[in-house]
Amino acid sequence: MSKILAVDDSASMRQMISFTLKSAGFDVVEAADGIEGLNQAQQHKCDLVLSDVNMPNMDGITMTRELRGLPDYKYTPILMLTTESGGDKKSEGKNAGATGWIVKPFKPDQLLNTIKKVLG
Amino acid sequence: MGLSTQIERPIQPPVTKGMENINRYWDRTMGVWAAKILPGELYVSAHGEMIVTVLGSCVAACIRDRVRGIGGMNHFMLPQANSTSNHWADALETRYGNWAMEFLINEILKLGGRKENLEVKLFGGGQILENMTDVGARNVEFVREYLKREGLRVEAEDLLGVRPRKVLYFSDTGSVKVRRLNQVSNTTVVDRERAYAKQVTTSDTDGSIELF
Repeated sequence: MSKILAVDDSASMRQMISFTLKSAGFDVVEAADGIEGLNQAQQHKCDLVLSDVNMPNMDGITMTRELRGLPDYKYTPILMLTTESGGDKKSEGKNAGATGWIVKPFKPDQLLNTIKKVLG
Repeated sequence: MGLSTQIERPIQPPVTKGMENINRYWDRTMGVWAAKILPGELYVSAHGEMIVTVLGSCVAACIRDRVRGIGGMNHFMLPQANSTSNHWADALETRYGNWAMEFLINEILKLGGRKENLEVKLFGGGQILENMTDVGARNVEFVREYLKREGLRVEAEDLLGVRPRKVLYFSDTGSVKVRRLNQVSNTTVVDRERAYAKQVTTSDTDGSIELF
């Protein structure tokens, strides 16, 4: 069973993402900001990371860059889930090493299909 | 030049980045720069603009950093519930509500607001569409639950009931004027909400996805 790390500062988003992923049979680990995300990523070997962009303490783009520096997460798919649809943030995310960019609001099926696609 | 009682019109504040599509205008009655939002839209200002909307069963959250005077308003409803689930974790049902709330809070924080200073006021959720009786109450229940989970307290509200409302929100002071509208003469509100309800329930176009 694939394990997914879900990082979002909104408790409502975390609840919604976890519910969607667990219903589809994934294991879910949660974190509320980039720093917690990095800690969780090191404690659990996750197969995929879903992360919000705008978060306190450490944003999702910085966390992505940090994750790419860890041997275990060099090639792990990292999908950004964000309200940011602008090109600037998207290129920043791409340059930091993100695998994809999903703009909220998204449908659960869209999220699951994208996850399946990047997990291969 | 004769005497004039007209209020001197200040220069229009710059539009917040990403919100260029919002209808902004000089409101002659109130003598202020204003922005009018429709269902599904939101507007945030760091310059003390008046934000206006008309609500039927939709809900508008007015949120502001009470110290810095940066505030905004959203306007949304949830898609119609599918029969099998009425769970607030259901992504299909809550996606627009979660998005509208998160987007509003994010934009305020991006303009320099701080989460610990946020003040929340809630409006709308009336029962005005006959065929969709519980929509307003459901929107209200969702937004209350959302705020509770996020640890945000509601400072003022005017919710539920059967009449549409026109809400004027002052984004810097947080002051609000609510006018109850005559239900029968407001077919525009009903028509707009019906169109929006259809859009959020059936839309396949939301959630753009790009793989790098």
